[in-house]
Amino acid sequence: MTPQPFALQPPRLAVWLVDLFTLPDDAEQIMGDLLEEFSQLASKSGVVFAQRWYWRQAVKTIAYLVPTAFNVAPWSTTAGVVGGFLTRRLLGRLVEPAIFAVLERYHVYQYHFKIYMFFASTGIDIGHLITFLFVGCVVALLAKRREMVPAIGLGLIFAAMAVVGSLAVVARTGDYTSLWRLTWYFADSFAILIGGAIVRTRRSAATTLPSDA
Amino acid sequence: MADRDYLGEFEHIIVLALLRLEERAYGVTVRQEIELRTKREVSIGAVYATLDRLEKKGYVKSHRGDPTPERGGRSKRFFRVTAKGVTAVNRTQRALQSMTEGLGLIQRYT
Repeated sequence: MTPQPFALQPPRLAVWLVDLFTLPDDAEQIMGDLLEEFSQLASKSGVVFAQRWYWRQAVKTIAYLVPTAFNVAPWSTTAGVVGGFLTRRLLGRLVEPAIFAVLERYHVYQYHFKIYMFFASTGIDIGHLITFLFVGCVVALLAKRREMVPAIGLGLIFAAMAVVGSLAVVARTGDYTSLWRLTWYFADSFAILIGGAIVRTRRSAATTLPSDA
Repeated sequence: MADRDYLGEFEHIIVLALLRLEERAYGVTVRQEIELRTKREVSIGAVYATLDRLEKKGYVKSHRGDPTPERGGRSKRFFRVTAKGVTAVNRTQRALQSMTEGLGLIQRYT
């Protein structure tokens, strides 16, 4: 591929996001069209204007492509979401026992109390975060060519469950401080998306590298 | 039944844009033609999703052009309307005309 001059490069993050959500069949044309129009706009109306335009196109394109990709393969996407949900339920039960088994195995409580306290509290949250990341990877691996669609679906389901659950706790107890836990829950949903993005990025790299060489 | 299908609103607009552009029709020109004539900003994702759907229905055909440097070495995908697509756009156009006939929409609502 011919490198563009630095000033005429579209925003890297927007390019990466469009690539993440575009079907491999359409990726070449969509990325090429966006770059062509970006270059035209940058030389006509300035780089800042062109970059804003690119971001607007990126957001609108992603917003359009995600539901379209779901409509094209609704059953396999739903199966991926349900499978991911069940996998997470299964793995979620193992996080705490696994962490405490390791802590007891190495007698952390006796010799390193602060470390024990960290792993017994924040460590469990991090453990859950890792399982969500893993589930995101698994769901994306199973969804060929549409990695991000089931990952988004699953992330939204967990985020919605977290919001409903937290509001129910607040309504029952009147304790608003419990809402801070939502940041961890949203981080869990985000970890699913990161898992999907990792798989998609690796697959894209694997398919484009041989032809570039 | 599929052969009696009408085009959706955006499908209709896209097919008309392809007919206007003839052999120059690819993502960028289609998007710009629609923006120019309808004055609404259209995303490239919406254009391709609709073109893919139209191609599956057999209303349009596509072929790849050569890679060009201004596109970072990526190729263009050119589209053209098939005979089946022309029939579908005519059918849709006639249905719309028949539905709006006698309503005087332009005089009444502008």
